[in-house]
Amino acid sequence: MKQAKKFYFDVKWVFILGIVGFLLVFQVFPLLYLVFRGFFSTGKFSLEAFKRIYSNAVNWACVRNTLVTATLAMVFGVLIAFPLAWLVGRSNLYGRKFFRALFLMTYMVPPYVGAMAWLRLLNPKVGTLNMFLQKILGLSGMPFDIYSVGGLVWVLTTFYYPYAFITISRAMENMDPTLEEASRISGASPLRTLFTVTLPLMMPSIVAAALLVFVAAASCYGIPSIIGAPAKIFTITTRIVDYVYVGTADGLSDATALAIFLMVLALLLLYISTFVVGKRDYITISGKSVSPSVVDLGKWRIPLTIMVSLFALVVVVVPFMTVFATSFTVNMGKSIFEPGNFTLKYWNTIISRDSILKSTGNSVLSSIWAASLGMIVCLIMAYLLKRTQVKGRRIPDFLITVGSGTPSVVIALALIMTMSGRFGINIYNTMMIMVVAYMIKYMMMGMRTVVSALSNVSPSLEEAAQVSGAGWLRRLRDVLFPLIIPSIVAGWFLIFMPCFYELTMSNLLYSDNTKTLGVELFLYQTYHSQQTAAALAGGILILVVVVNFALNKISRGKFSI
Amino acid sequence: MSQIILDHVTKQYGDVVVLNDFSAEFEDGEFITLLGPSGCGKTTMLRMIAGFEKPTSGTIKIDGVTVSSADTFVPPEKRGLGMVFQSYAVWPHMNVFDNVAYPLKIRKLPKQEIRDKVMRVLEAVHLDQYEKRLPSQLSGGQQQRVALGRALVAEPKVLLLDEPLSNLDAKLREEMRYEIKDIQRRLHINIVYVTHDQSEAMTMSDRVFVIYAGELQQVGSPVEIYRHPRNQFVADFVGKVNFLKGTSQDGKILLDGVSESLDYSGDLTGPVDVAIRPENARLVRGGGQLPCRILSEFFMGDENDCLVQVGERQIHVASDAASYGQFGAEEPVGLEIREFLVFPQSGEEFEQILT
Repeated sequence: MKQAKKFYFDVKWVFILGIVGFLLVFQVFPLLYLVFRGFFSTGKFSLEAFKRIYSNAVNWACVRNTLVTATLAMVFGVLIAFPLAWLVGRSNLYGRKFFRALFLMTYMVPPYVGAMAWLRLLNPKVGTLNMFLQKILGLSGMPFDIYSVGGLVWVLTTFYYPYAFITISRAMENMDPTLEEASRISGASPLRTLFTVTLPLMMPSIVAAALLVFVAAASCYGIPSIIGAPAKIFTITTRIVDYVYVGTADGLSDATALAIFLMVLALLLLYISTFVVGKRDYITISGKSVSPSVVDLGKWRIPLTIMVSLFALVVVVVPFMTVFATSFTVNMGKSIFEPGNFTLKYWNTIISRDSILKSTGNSVLSSIWAASLGMIVCLIMAYLLKRTQVKGRRIPDFLITVGSGTPSVVIALALIMTMSGRFGINIYNTMMIMVVAYMIKYMMMGMRTVVSALSNVSPSLEEAAQVSGAGWLRRLRDVLFPLIIPSIVAGWFLIFMPCFYELTMSNLLYSDNTKTLGVELFLYQTYHSQQTAAALAGGILILVVVVNFALNKISRGKFSI
Repeated sequence: MSQIILDHVTKQYGDVVVLNDFSAEFEDGEFITLLGPSGCGKTTMLRMIAGFEKPTSGTIKIDGVTVSSADTFVPPEKRGLGMVFQSYAVWPHMNVFDNVAYPLKIRKLPKQEIRDKVMRVLEAVHLDQYEKRLPSQLSGGQQQRVALGRALVAEPKVLLLDEPLSNLDAKLREEMRYEIKDIQRRLHINIVYVTHDQSEAMTMSDRVFVIYAGELQQVGSPVEIYRHPRNQFVADFVGKVNFLKGTSQDGKILLDGVSESLDYSGDLTGPVDVAIRPENARLVRGGGQLPCRILSEFFMGDENDCLVQVGERQIHVASDAASYGQFGAEEPVGLEIREFLVFPQSGEEFEQILT
């Protein structure tokens, strides 16, 4: 008779401890230190730094600008997203699938591309759209000025409404259609049903969507830095970056205080949207996969399709075409169709100039690292969450969520303060600090994908392998991995893409050797050649479309970015 | 030699006791059924034998080896068991052959030997035509056989079955019952079978363990637990039963609300519950121990399922099919009771307990 071994070494723990350690060192510690510095800037506890937010007119103006622009973008974003989500998801609008894909794609386009495009279109002196409108309407001056709070709100809205669109569409699709059918059977018209049943049921999702847009708009750096800065409209994010560049002690302490304000605001709203609003979520996913009923628009079908098309034209097609047009234009004061004004030189530049190629290489490399390491972390964390009863298994999930909710500017600032040798780790000026920053900010996308994939794999599939004699690693390799590989690929790209064209954190963390594509584009846009920047943006747009298409094919329509 | 020994096994989740102080020995080649309503702890017991759950206290031995105790724990993959899951858990990304071959691949058997063994098992579960198919191309019953084949291929001494038939339709369920029983006889393995379906337990088991609310209620052969249930719960859960309250004294049981009484030779006195199985009562014209009135009759083909009023109580009777429609509405009818069970009154209303 053989004697059973007393203990079996569990490989799980090595991975789990490693990852929790990583998150503690590179996320929790820097953010806590940032907060600590905010209160102990002089060595003793003081609120001095926070008083300067209110007492210093420059700081107060940027807080006000941020709150005003983000609030307006939130209101307009939801006002656009809800009808759009309903029309695309629940009505017999023509071309629903096409519009859906189009609006979702904007989600993956870097916001600064929008800023560049609208700058060209609504420039108060030479804006293409401005001149066009002036001509056909016979106006004496330019109708719009992009260099204004209104301009900023407009670009923020057009680039962040997709966040609300996605959230609201998803909730609409998951709604039990019988709830609405019950209303129809009771004698309510489709419109009445929309207002008395659909809308109230959707309220928690709408609030969550609104908060998401607010946080995204308030944390955005690309748009206010390209549009706001020339107009002297500063926001919290642009202010923080300026202070960091100046680098004085007072400046850093102001930056810290502003960063804490922004972080607390963002995390508080995300907390409200997940835990307070989320609890009141009525949307239930019924086991039966009945697709929600489609409402016949009747005589409104054609007019509404035209309206949605116009919206898509103005918000998606025109800006993207503008970027491409700019990249082929010699003299931006003239139309691209004038003879001699068309050139391929800027596209040639971006595929031949050494500095650009090097930055692109840096971006590719750091994004591959971030996506690959990120996915490893996500996989293990998701496994921990869904497959074990380990105490505290929600902590890493929570940390990853907090990381993604923390504004990019804040993450970068916290890493600069802690990772430049003061505490024994010096990765400042290296690519590693960017990889770390990217992971903290974007891992959640991969995490959500893998968690939902794992939820769909019944634990008994693994238990069956275990009874068959397979150890943990063997089970992962033979059963779990093959079943969730499409989700792993999708998750990888969901981390890779935003890292690839990331601007905000890279802009604070780059050094001469680690300049990334986003930074390169930003520098060209601001200082050198808008056409070269446009060519880079055009390249990024093409990549987004291609990756999106490929992912859709690989996963048979289950995933797209 | 004993194949599985459970020694004072208790499982608690926080303060909730799922299984309390469970002791049992399952012999070699025995077909054991753990029977009880859902949530009674039977699946937990099975998962503790498999090693997916750790007992809070107590010892589990398989084939003489302690696999689970206060200071020892052998994980499921080292226990060498076979198991069939309620959801089958057939891997969707592997074809039938690969699914069944998996345990042998883990044991690193030579290719040819794996092939031979898998084909032999596939033949035994009537799937030898389907080795290349993916699970998505199989019916529920076929997937079930794949799961069974996979559990059997490594020739385990113990086979664990977790409600394996509950997702099949009625006809297939009956077929699989005989097949499982047949395989168990041929291979002479120890099967531990979890179910809430008493007819599965009755037809297949050597011994049935009736579990309720985390407590073992009774152990015995199907005949024993049906004929001699130890308490009201077992009587009610295994088979159908009508409960009547009464008082036992002087060799008679006076039923509450009924003028007649039943002759009783047992030694219980005082307040008692009388349990009458529907098939042990018969409708007769005049006579019988209890006069009654027919409330409704349903013709079931093999029996006449009727509801009758006895005093203030209503009871179900499975009378012979020929009696259907034989009695007029106001005709006095008697109930002839062939057999009944008597329990001391526990105060609980046992007719409410269903699966």
